[in-house]
Amino acid sequence: MRTESNTLDALMARLADGDRAVFARVFELLWGPIHRLCITLLKNDADAADAAQEAMQKILERASDYDKSRPAMPWAMAIAGWECRTLARKHVRRREVDDAGHEQSGEHPEEEFVQRNLTAAAIAALGELSEADRETLVATFWDEAASVSGATLRKRRERALDRLRKTFRRLYGLD
Amino acid sequence: MDSTDLTHLQRRVRWAYELGRLRRALLGVAPVLVIVAVAACVAHRPVSTLWFGLATVTIGAAMLWYGRDPQKAVLPGIAAGLVPLVFALCANHMHACGANGCSSLCVPACALGGVVAGLAVASVGNQRKAGPWFWVSASSLALLTGAMGCACIGYSGVVGLGVGFGAGMVPGLLRRAFGEKST
Repeated sequence: MRTESNTLDALMARLADGDRAVFARVFELLWGPIHRLCITLLKNDADAADAAQEAMQKILERASDYDKSRPAMPWAMAIAGWECRTLARKHVRRREVDDAGHEQSGEHPEEEFVQRNLTAAAIAALGELSEADRETLVATFWDEAASVSGATLRKRRERALDRLRKTFRRLYGLD
Repeated sequence: MDSTDLTHLQRRVRWAYELGRLRRALLGVAPVLVIVAVAACVAHRPVSTLWFGLATVTIGAAMLWYGRDPQKAVLPGIAAGLVPLVFALCANHMHACGANGCSSLCVPACALGGVVAGLAVASVGNQRKAGPWFWVSASSLALLTGAMGCACIGYSGVVGLGVGFGAGMVPGLLRRAFGEKST
C-alpha cells in the first residue's frame, strides 16, 4: 500500500509538471479508492458514481496545483470527501423540499433515514474543519500514512478528532 | 461502471485537466500583459511593441500550459528579456549628438541588453543543467520580450538584440559543451 502511495505521489508530481504520459496510470490509481470512499460515505451506488466522477474531474483539474511535498492520496480523498458532502447536502435539501411539498413520511425505512442523516451530518461537520484536519481524518479513515508518522500523526489525529467533536456539538448540540 | 463508461470518463477528466492547465497558464502570463501595456505606452513605435508583446504572451501561455522544460523557462526567459527591454525604452529618450548630427542609442542599448540577457539565460541553463528545450524556450521568450523595446528604430534594433544575445550565450554554451565532455 505504501509503495502504491509512493508511486502515486511520484506520478502526480510528474502530471503536475505536465507529463501527460502518466495521466492514464494516475487515473487508474485514483479511481478505485475514490469510488470506494464515495460508496462508503453516500451508501448509494448511483450517487457514489456521480460524486466519484465529479471528484475525479476536480482532482485532475487541480493536478497542476498539487503540492509535491505532500502525499497525493489524502489530498485527493479530501477533495472527494468534499464532493460527497456537497452531493449529500443537495440530496438532504431536496428531500426537505419534497417532504414539505408532499407531507409524506415513512416512505423509507427509518433506519436508512437515520443512517443517511447521520452520514450527511458527519460530512457537514467534516466540511467545517480546516483542509489539514480533513486530510488527516480522511487519511486515518483509509489507513493512509500522511507525510508524518508516529507521535506527530497521533497528536495531529487527536486534535483533528477533538475539533470534529466540537464542531459536531456546535452544529447539532450532541456528540 | 463498465470500461466504456470509464474510458468516456477518462476522456472528460483529461479535458478538465487540460482546461485547468490552460486557466493556470493564462493567470501566470497575466503579469506580462502589464509589461506589454507599460512598454507600449513608453515606446516610440507602440504597434511593433504590441505585436511582439502579443507573441510573448501567446508563446508564454503555451509554454506554461505545456509544462515540463518550457514551463520552467518562462520566468528566466522573461526576466532576462526585461534587461534589453528596459535598456531600449530608456534609449528611446536619449540620443548621442556629434559633428555629423544626432543618432539614436537604441541599437547599442539593444545589443548590450542582448548580451546581458544571453549571459543570464546561459547562466540559469547551466546552473539547472537544463535540457535543450529549456534553452530554446528561455531564449525565444527573452528575445521576444526584448524585441518589444528594440523595435524602436525598426528591425535593426531587433537584429542588434539578436546579435548581442547570441554573443552573450557563447560562453555559457561553450561551458556546457566542454563541461559535458569532461564529465
